[in-house]
Amino acid sequence: MRIGLIAMSGVRVRNPELAALGVSLPQFVSRGRVIASLPSLGLLTVAGLTPREHEVLYLEFAELPPADQELERFDLVGISSFTAQIDEAYALADRYRAIGVPVALGGLHVSLLPEEAARHADAIVVNGAEGAWPRLLQDFQAGRMQPRYEGLRARVFEEPNYVLPRFELLRGRPYNRLTVQTSRGCPLDCEFCAASLRITSSFQQKPVDKVVAEIRAAREVTSQPFFELADDNTFISKKWGKELLRALRPLGIRWFTETDISVADDEELLELLAESGCAQVLIGLESPDAGSLASLDPHNWKQRRCDDYLRAIERIQSRGVSVNGCFILGLDNHGPDIFEKVRDFVARAGLIEVQVTVQTPFPGTPLHARLKREGRLLPEPYWDRCTLFDVTYEPLHMSRAELEAGMRWLFSELYNEREFLQRKRRYMELVKQRI
Amino acid sequence: MKGEEVERLVRALLGELSRSDVSALGRDEDLVEHLGLDSLQGLSFLAAVEKRFQVRFPDELLAALRSVGALVEGIQSARKEPVA
Ligand code: B12
Ligand code: SF4
Repeated sequence: MRIGLIAMSGVRVRNPELAALGVSLPQFVSRGRVIASLPSLGLLTVAGLTPREHEVLYLEFAELPPADQELERFDLVGISSFTAQIDEAYALADRYRAIGVPVALGGLHVSLLPEEAARHADAIVVNGAEGAWPRLLQDFQAGRMQPRYEGLRARVFEEPNYVLPRFELLRGRPYNRLTVQTSRGCPLDCEFCAASLRITSSFQQKPVDKVVAEIRAAREVTSQPFFELADDNTFISKKWGKELLRALRPLGIRWFTETDISVADDEELLELLAESGCAQVLIGLESPDAGSLASLDPHNWKQRRCDDYLRAIERIQSRGVSVNGCFILGLDNHGPDIFEKVRDFVARAGLIEVQVTVQTPFPGTPLHARLKREGRLLPEPYWDRCTLFDVTYEPLHMSRAELEAGMRWLFSELYNEREFLQRKRRYMELVKQRI
Repeated sequence: MKGEEVERLVRALLGELSRSDVSALGRDEDLVEHLGLDSLQGLSFLAAVEKRFQVRFPDELLAALRSVGALVEGIQSARKEPVA
């Protein structure tokens, strides 16, 4: 059987003013270019779960192929989904089905809104592909494919569910970095979070030897030794984290991951981070003042940590590991003064990179359910605006227009040439202290 | 230090940091592309050059220092300026 696995690639912004601004801001553009070329680890995993008797082709579409362009034919097509590109994924699925090619849809958005997705697919897979995709293929070959398959929400990294993603499908393609997942889920459980915790029943960690095997496999197909860990929050367990870092140390890679501010609590972990080639940790600081972090997560964990942010950032960056501080604008406690507060905090903290996004009620999240109850959402579906840059709801203490304008102002304050150069210089001075 | 000597030292440092053989690399060849450096690696490399040669490149020149030739010239002209 010939199976086509398709991802919609690249990054998305809908608001034309922001899009225009984005193109003119150097740091925004450079990060966009880097991450836009990441492959779909989800589909490489689906490929790994496919028995080798089948031929698998991995395709990426930055946009929908023109209507008059003939689509490559397969016996079965699998399409992955994030919310922001779901309209394109559905349109592609509809076109394949119209020419008689059966389509299976899976991924985050499909797992969050399965009934909607089912209208565009012969079969949907919710949660991880582990535990579902092999069954789907067997059924398909036997001519009895079901409309819905439940993938695993636990034990995805254990035998016999775990498979090595098929990195060799990327051979010859010009990615400047590759991804490896070391964990799924995050116990902090923030109200707005739309990442892998929505497809797991609890936090799951991959055994370290499997992570190392994946990195080795990925390195066989790329000359670029840069990796992004496709995790939500890598260092939940400091003990496991240290084991991972000791194993990464001899591999000679450079890498990046997403985690929380508690990495700064552990001296040994920080040393190991630096020694293992960690170039940057992305940390969701969310807001510079504790007051606005109330109720963000059920235990007010981020609120309790906020007063320590400056010291923690300093501790991490002093090891030569840069912090990419992420802020979310438009939280319920944010008023129009938030934009200046973020700008001032970024300057004070000496953050080497900064990412500012707008609160986004992704369907399937507690935030979405609450704002819906409160009647504050844009008319649905607004999924193409779930880009993290487009405002899709009524903020509480400012208008939508104020939030949009404030965000544009903050972007131009943070991503201009002068700030960019200052951040570069700060990073170089940190490196010099270390070498 | 003469231009050739600076170039020899720059190449040695580059080889050491990138763990690859850069002896055949053209003087004007783009280092970032050739070595596949990410942006932080590029900056780390520039930081190492600054430290080794005891210079400080003007911030607005950093982006242009992408070849052995540009680095050699950058080092030589920075040496004429007092180190900040
Ligand atoms: C790497 C990454 C990217 C890469 C993605 C490359 C790609 N095509 O997959 C790039 C940089 C291109 C990217 C882009 C965007 N991203 Co992104 N990205 C991530 C990141 C860091 C890791 C995702 C990952 O690799 N996970 C690991 C894999 C193994 O998990 P998975 O994809 O869920 O796959 C499993 C299952 O879902 C399922 N599955 C998946 N696909 C399929 C398909 C079939 C057929 C089947 C059967 C099963 C199946 O099986 C897999 C194995 O279990 C996450 C954040 C995070 N830490 O998780 C954000 C994240 C996924 N991104 C997010 C967003 C918002 C975006 C953008 C909209 C940003 C923007 N403004 O442009 C764009 C989306 C545009 C687009 N083209 O889709 C959100 C998505 C939320 C949502 N519910 O949609 C996340 C969660 C981050 C966040 N802040 O919330 N992103
Ligand atoms: S800390 Fe990050 S990954 Fe964890 S739940 Fe909150 S937003 Fe999601």
